Amino acid sequence: MNNKIKVERAIHNLTQEQLADLVSVTRQTINAIELKKFVPSTVLALKICRVFNKSVDEVFSLESNE
Amino acid sequence: MKPLLLPNRLKNIGWILLLPSFVAGLIFIVFEYKLPMDPKINVFGFFGDAILSSKLEQQFRVSSVDLIPNLIGICFLVGGILVMFSKEKKEDEFINQLRLNALQWSIFINYSLLLFCFLLVHGLAFLNVMVYNMFTIIVIYILRFQYLFYNHSIVKNEQ
Repeated sequence: MNNKIKVERAIHNLTQEQLADLVSVTRQTINAIELKKFVPSTVLALKICRVFNKSVDEVFSLESNE
Repeated sequence: MKPLLLPNRLKNIGWILLLPSFVAGLIFIVFEYKLPMDPKINVFGFFGDAILSSKLEQQFRVSSVDLIPNLIGICFLVGGILVMFSKEKKEDEFINQLRLNALQWSIFINYSLLLFCFLLVHGLAFLNVMVYNMFTIIVIYILRFQYLFYNHSIVKNEQ
């Protein structure tokens, strides 16, 4: 699954640590999501999108083979 | 579904129990160390030496057991359980995924090793395999989880 978390963080001027605190996870989790090593749960995806004030499909999208 | 986990403060207690008993266990089993004195303790047990006997009086009775090896085994298991099942300082779904991965690894490697030993170790020597096998799941789980956890902790500061 692709995501635009890194881009959105830059737009909102947030570090991984700050975003992690806002959605109550560890920085490693945000890093793993950005590196596509971990697919977040629906709840976490919704929390991240709420921080960026975007809908889920604006931040997350399926890869062509999914 | 919330995972079944113990409070984080129990993790350090787990390490304090696990590490010395792991070293002591290695010394006892691998190097076959014999204590100068062999303290015994009387404890209640479901089965004594006569496990294959059908006589009732030899079950559910107080029997004399070696104190030190049993103490080491108990400390190792309690310590191992506390380390395995205590929360990290900050617990989240990613850590939970690392736990699942470590558990899959430990079960897979444990039973692969056991299968290997089934094929190649025969007779009374298999008793040794069973002794090691009591602890391999805990050891492999902890090694794998710690590796994954610290591997993901040392991430580049991509901010």
